[in-house]
Amino acid sequence: MQEVLRLQNLQKSFGSVRALKNASLTLKEGEVVALLGDNGAGKSTLIKAISGVFPIDRGDIYVRGEKVSIRSTREAMDLGIETIHQDTSLAPDLSIARNLFLGREPVNLKWLGVFAPLDLAKLRDAASALLKRVGISKKLDADALVSTLSGGERQSIAISRAMQFAAKVIILDEPTNNLGVEETHGVLRFVKEMREAGHSVLLITHNIHHVFEVADRIIVMRRGEIVAEQTVADTDLLTVESLITGADLSALMKRAQ
Amino acid sequence: MRSPQFSSFVILVVLLVVFAVADGNFLSPLNISNMMAFLPELGIIALGMTLLLTAGEFDLSVGAVFGLAPVVVMLLVQNAGVDIGVALLAGLLLCIAIGAINGVIVTKIGISSFLVTLSMLLIVRGAALYITQGFPLKSWDQPGFFVTLLAGSFNIGAFRFYTSLWWFIGLSLLAVYVLRYAKLGNWISAIGSNRNAAVARGVPADTVKIWLFIATSVLAGLAGMISAFRISAASPVAGTGYELEVIAMVVVGGTALTGGRGTILGTIVGALMLRAIRNGIVLVGVPGLAYNIFVGVIILAMLILHALLQKNAARN
Repeated sequence: MQEVLRLQNLQKSFGSVRALKNASLTLKEGEVVALLGDNGAGKSTLIKAISGVFPIDRGDIYVRGEKVSIRSTREAMDLGIETIHQDTSLAPDLSIARNLFLGREPVNLKWLGVFAPLDLAKLRDAASALLKRVGISKKLDADALVSTLSGGERQSIAISRAMQFAAKVIILDEPTNNLGVEETHGVLRFVKEMREAGHSVLLITHNIHHVFEVADRIIVMRRGEIVAEQTVADTDLLTVESLITGADLSALMKRAQ
Repeated sequence: MRSPQFSSFVILVVLLVVFAVADGNFLSPLNISNMMAFLPELGIIALGMTLLLTAGEFDLSVGAVFGLAPVVVMLLVQNAGVDIGVALLAGLLLCIAIGAINGVIVTKIGISSFLVTLSMLLIVRGAALYITQGFPLKSWDQPGFFVTLLAGSFNIGAFRFYTSLWWFIGLSLLAVYVLRYAKLGNWISAIGSNRNAAVARGVPADTVKIWLFIATSVLAGLAGMISAFRISAASPVAGTGYELEVIAMVVVGGTALTGGRGTILGTIVGALMLRAIRNGIVLVGVPGLAYNIFVGVIILAMLILHALLQKNAARN
């Protein structure tokens, strides 16, 4: 499989806090990689650096083998890196169609810049087609306001938006937070579909069970560093938990017995 | 039926009928002409305020800018002998600067627009009072191109209208277009609805907000000039309290104070409503000093109605 994204020795400090010490990782085509770690381990900092929220202090980012610099969310999107943040990806007062194309609105009379009129027909058609393709057309109308949707539906919309722009890398930040059981399974099914469609997925989550259900590889972070990298087939829940906390849980368990 | 601007419109019609029945002169050409002369001055500011509120910010300095801009322009013309065109340009630049300072402090330093524009209100009003020493400027009675452009008048039958009405209509159409049909409107609503989501999609939220602050300031200055030309005088205390009346017009029309949901049509209805109340209450004989009681009660009633309608919509 071809390499899609490579991070080499990324470093980022906030004042005296070294949020990211020396992070390197590689993401291949059609692969789901889970990024795990306790609160404050540096997961958020890492994905924010990749998605262009703030610049890194040091280190290199390669997209399909080419060295790039990512200085804004716009640049990350243009490189094919789509990030879906927990709860914050959609504007609730806008329609589904307007959300799907937010920041990339189809317009007529392009020379008018930000004053260019939206191509409303194209907007609605494309949104309907997209909703149909991802299998939620029966329930959702492209003109419905996002505020009328459930958490799972919102997450589905955000994910379909990322898939629609044929993103090479899709970063999911806690995608199943605050979701019901059924909605969670819907999102996990989406993740599998993304992999089948050839997208690479970086999944940030606290739920290790989900990781074993969908991920191919696991990367564990602790105190701003990547401390372990394992394929899901070669590891188990207890080992991963030990890696996250830094304590040897299996040894503890044995001693307890 | 559930849309806020529609319920506001119904209330407006009810108010107009009540006033018309209570006093035969309410719908007379003279009184309608009178209302239409005042309407654009606050209405034009309300258009800018609607866009700004939709993006999640508001501006308390508009009333002060309404006062300062004409004072500066007239001082330049009368005391410094500057050409009126150049003076107006200077006034425009001043408004742009005030709006830009508001916007930059709010977005780049991250202080709430309430505090920033409240301070700006004091600075701008204080400046107007200081440079005039508190006195209104001597009257301005030289007709010319700019006076005709901003405050000329014309008759249609028994009605007498000011050109400011054209300004209001034109700017309203532009604002409706921007908010509902242009790419920029999509950005403005998205920023007010969920700023982080908009930024994550590459929308330049700070830049959009700064330009909206500038637009609002410029519109306030324009309204101040229109008013000053119409009454041929510039007073340093003109526009006192306008900021709250303008915000009332906007929220009565159905725009959310918290951002994300804005309606220009609603704002026009709101502007007409407050104008009609102010005018009608006096005609039907309510004492002038009791005016604010009525305005307050009606605004509160409108807001309760909007809240109930929204709750209802959420339940269905």
